[in-house]
Amino acid sequence: MLMHVIHMGHDVYKANDKIAEKNKKKLDKHQVFSVNVMGAIGSGKTTLIEEAIRQLKEKYKIAVIAGDVIAEMDSSRFRKLDVPTIPVNTGKECHLDAKLVEKALDEIDLNNTDLLLIENVGNLICPVDFKLGEHLRVVIVSVTEGDDIILKHPMIFKTAELAIINKVDIAHAVDVDAEKMREDILSLNPNVPVILTSKHDWESLETWIGFIELGVKEAQKKSG
Amino acid sequence: MHELSIAYEIFDQVVATAKANGAIEVKSVTLQIGRLSHTNPEQLSFCFKVIAEGSIAENADFIVEMVAPSLECECGYEGAIDEEQIRESSAIRSELLAYVAAMDCPICGEQAHITGGRELIIKSIEIETEEDRTADSNNK
Repeated sequence: MLMHVIHMGHDVYKANDKIAEKNKKKLDKHQVFSVNVMGAIGSGKTTLIEEAIRQLKEKYKIAVIAGDVIAEMDSSRFRKLDVPTIPVNTGKECHLDAKLVEKALDEIDLNNTDLLLIENVGNLICPVDFKLGEHLRVVIVSVTEGDDIILKHPMIFKTAELAIINKVDIAHAVDVDAEKMREDILSLNPNVPVILTSKHDWESLETWIGFIELGVKEAQKKSG
Repeated sequence: MHELSIAYEIFDQVVATAKANGAIEVKSVTLQIGRLSHTNPEQLSFCFKVIAEGSIAENADFIVEMVAPSLECECGYEGAIDEEQIRESSAIRSELLAYVAAMDCPICGEQAHITGGRELIIKSIEIETEEDRTADSNNK
């Protein structure tokens, strides 16, 4: 039988990476610092983002992209804090991708934004392969997910630039050792900063918020 | 589960390339998937077949080649990861975890940068054109 072999070499993930690079350039041009917040369902992504908004909104202009299978629920929580919020419904999809973020950026007044917080879909697997154009990749994991959760999902911790272990105040109640979780993260990614947080421990939240603020200041130093 | 949307993208790319090359049928699609990517080859193949129903790629063989991770280190090392280390650790751990654990440079032991193993590449397709089929039947 006669046949032709056509070489394609089309990389599906690279196609996404290219759009992510474009998003990043656009954000850089406007001196916007962007954070991709990843983590499982119920790990506390929305809550920790809310706390950051409350503390930083007087100092900086903040916008939020809220990605979810039904995004309106979380985005209404952010809107209550008076920050521009773009809900991105992913429908069946388990992650945000660069194309969805590119579209959302069109709806944000980047000239009037210092900080863009992107809440990814609750999932420790799918978001890993899709860059969005973020400056900081954060993964939030809570003690309620069990202390073996980290080694079950190595790639998200391997590629994160900041790791947060949340709800440490109830670690004892759920029989989990938060220090073991920290060690597991560092075994995968020895140089990543790890923060232990609890909604009820103000100091722990300050560390998280301080991290974001550092990025915003850095971005503002760079010329657009 | 994002195999469905990836399968759609592969299908669109494959059919567009096939048609641009005058295909009347796609005989096979060959993919390269990195072992560190979170794509399940069986699910992807299933999704592709569902999407391809009634198209020129309906009967295409879906071939997947898995790609082992590769590294680049500041010490100058470029190449494969230490397979030995993976075999030692994979008895107790998942394959993915074993790969991630073996991301240290086999020469200097420092953390190395991952340069390959996360890709999802449509490598090639085999197609049949009108002329192929005519020539084929004339030869019989």
